[in-house]
Amino acid sequence: MDIIDIKGLVKNYPLGETTVHALRGVDLTIQEGEFMSIVGPSGSGKTTLLNIIGCIDFATEGSVKVHETEITALTDREVTDLRLHKIGFIFQTFNLIPVLDVIENVEFPLLLMKNQSKGEIRKRADKLIDEVGLSEYAEHRPAELSGGQRQRVAIARALVTNPDIVLADEPTANLDSVTGAQILELMKKMNEIEKTTFIFSTHDEHVLKYAQKIVKIKDGRIER
Amino acid sequence: MELILKIAWRNIKRHKGKSFIIGVILFLGALLMTLGNGVISGMDKGIESNIINGFMGDIAIISEKEKTDSILMKMYGESIETIPNYKEIKAILLKENYIESFIPVGKNMVMVLSEDDGDPWYMYILGVDFKEYKKMFKGNIYAIEGRLLKDDEPGILVPAFMRNELYTRMNIWMIPENSKLVEDNLSDDARPYKDELSLKTNAVFMGARNDSSTSDIRLAVKGIIKYRALNTFWGHFPITDIESYRNCMGYFSASELAVSISKDTQKLLDAEAENLDAMFGRDSLIVSDTGSSDIGSIDFKKKELTTKTGLDLESGIYNCVFVKLKDSSRLERSVNMLNAKFKQAGMGIRAVTWKKASGFIGSMAVLIKGALFVFVMILFFVAIIIIVNTLTMAALERTTEIGMMRAVGARKSFIGGMFLGETVILSGIFGGLGFILGIIIVNIIPLLQITTSNDLLQLLYGGDTFKPFLSFFDMLFVIIQLALVTIITVLYPVKVANSITPLDAIARE
Ligand SMILES: Nc1ncnc2c1ncn2[C@@H]1O[C@H](COP(=O)(O)OP(=O)(O)O)[C@@H](O)[C@H]1O
Ligand SMILES: [Mg+2]
Repeated sequence: MDIIDIKGLVKNYPLGETTVHALRGVDLTIQEGEFMSIVGPSGSGKTTLLNIIGCIDFATEGSVKVHETEITALTDREVTDLRLHKIGFIFQTFNLIPVLDVIENVEFPLLLMKNQSKGEIRKRADKLIDEVGLSEYAEHRPAELSGGQRQRVAIARALVTNPDIVLADEPTANLDSVTGAQILELMKKMNEIEKTTFIFSTHDEHVLKYAQKIVKIKDGRIER
Repeated sequence: MELILKIAWRNIKRHKGKSFIIGVILFLGALLMTLGNGVISGMDKGIESNIINGFMGDIAIISEKEKTDSILMKMYGESIETIPNYKEIKAILLKENYIESFIPVGKNMVMVLSEDDGDPWYMYILGVDFKEYKKMFKGNIYAIEGRLLKDDEPGILVPAFMRNELYTRMNIWMIPENSKLVEDNLSDDARPYKDELSLKTNAVFMGARNDSSTSDIRLAVKGIIKYRALNTFWGHFPITDIESYRNCMGYFSASELAVSISKDTQKLLDAEAENLDAMFGRDSLIVSDTGSSDIGSIDFKKKELTTKTGLDLESGIYNCVFVKLKDSSRLERSVNMLNAKFKQAGMGIRAVTWKKASGFIGSMAVLIKGALFVFVMILFFVAIIIIVNTLTMAALERTTEIGMMRAVGARKSFIGGMFLGETVILSGIFGGLGFILGIIIVNIIPLLQITTSNDLLQLLYGGDTFKPFLSFFDMLFVIIQLALVTIITVLYPVKVANSITPLDAIARE
């Protein structure tokens, strides 16, 4: 089943007098449970594409359907709730709330959802922290963790709400290659455990071996 | 909610410097606001108790014909209507059990005539039966030179404030009879000329009434007085005995009335010679030295008056009655009850509250209050600007963090709540501390018995003692003000924080 269905997606950024054509007509479908990589050089439009799928940015033209829902016509409140309930994010850096410790960061989206008891939330967060291998660090603040550990927390938090999709924009870009590989392996493992659709972008050809499906992007267009 | 407060609290601890700045400002703001309100309330209460206990009681009874209620300091020196039926009023007042005491007074303007071709000067004057006055307003005045009036003694008590005024206006320096210049009491204006002052132990006063049927009368200065407090107000009011006052205003005096009664009696008893003698004997007792053979044309002009006893002073004319209540908090109700009685009796008089009667002084208090309030507001305005600025900076500095929270699914209201939470906690803690310290200070100050004879400070104190005071409502008012400030300061930063989108978190990278 298609979890994401993109048709004729165009994104223009006005930049002074000119316009930057970040996406020039993207058609793309993603199946449920996929572990998909978007690959392309810097400036090719990867971030723009992920942002639009993640309802962080809005399309200039075209249609984006997540689970049959057209997301290009939602209000801020609806879009926020969609992000909270259906999508998990892993950013390149600065993923975590500095004043919350690991377990609190992972619990954060669940607390925003307000539909589970504290006990259930704690249990779910504990489980994910265990799965990403950070049980010992549950009460550490982000500042006390290494880059790789922070990304693990981010993965746990992205998955804690049982989202339909996890979007990760160059999640390994700030990590050394060994740690980066570990993170990708963890993502792959979580994809298998939680059956969550993963979409991650990278400009690094090395990481491609982890991907199940690869989409190449260049100058705002998908390369077949 | 719990989450918002948790994050807010930790952010406060994380950004200690900023929190401290905001906290200190809120602390000082709350402290000053509490103190300011305490001083204002204390002043209000002080002035109230000063007016009531030291000058005019709770209620003034005036003529129905009187156009304005504010009879104490009437503008343009308009004269005050008379209340000729005092004995009837007295009969009514005596029956009201909520009334503690009352005194009839004459109150008007007089001209002080210059004896060396200079211009006259105007001043208010209060004519009282001094014996009764002393009883009702115990210790409200004291003599700094000379002495107070003896019972039924004619003469005038000039406030030091008015003496200075007369010096500036008329170039005379008043001193009590049989006394010498007291250099320490000279005003700053007069001091350089202390050797060439024109010293006066008496002056000629003339009632300044709208109709001109007044007389001039020479009154000896018996004492230079000070009111216990608020001489800037009360210093405008010299005090004289009621008979001199009546003579001065051209009203029927008690002695004149006594004479006319005795004249009637005289006619009735004319036939009996032995009784006639007895009658004259009594006459001369009552009107002791007004020139007994020339009864029909009593002339007080520029005549020194001497003590007369046994006169029925209350039969003469007054301008108003000052009434003190047992319970000052029942002011409005008491006034209404009195007015109902007066109306029923058709007496042509009305009762007004001290607030209305003292109009100008009341508005003086309002003025000072307003000034203090403006000061506090300016302070808060500055505080608000600094806090808004600091919070807005904080919002902008945390753009990535906020954007990320929004991306993960936090609504705008969550972000707004976070900032509100931070400010509320800060104002709760620091503002609360300032508030509590303020309350403590306000409650300690009266114990220190800080007194002043400085006129300006007395205005601020509302009396001679600095007694700031906070009622329950004042405290509530401070808390509301503080809450308002908190909300106002947070509005703009929240707006800025709300405008941060998830994209802002990413665009930086
Ligand atoms: N906010 C923006 N304003 C103007 N141009 C932008 C903005 N964001 C991205 N772009 C441009 O859009 C193009 C695609 O950018 P991006 O999606 O970030 O590429 P990638 O993530 O593949 O490096 C680039 O040319 C970039 O300069
Ligand atoms: Mg990018």
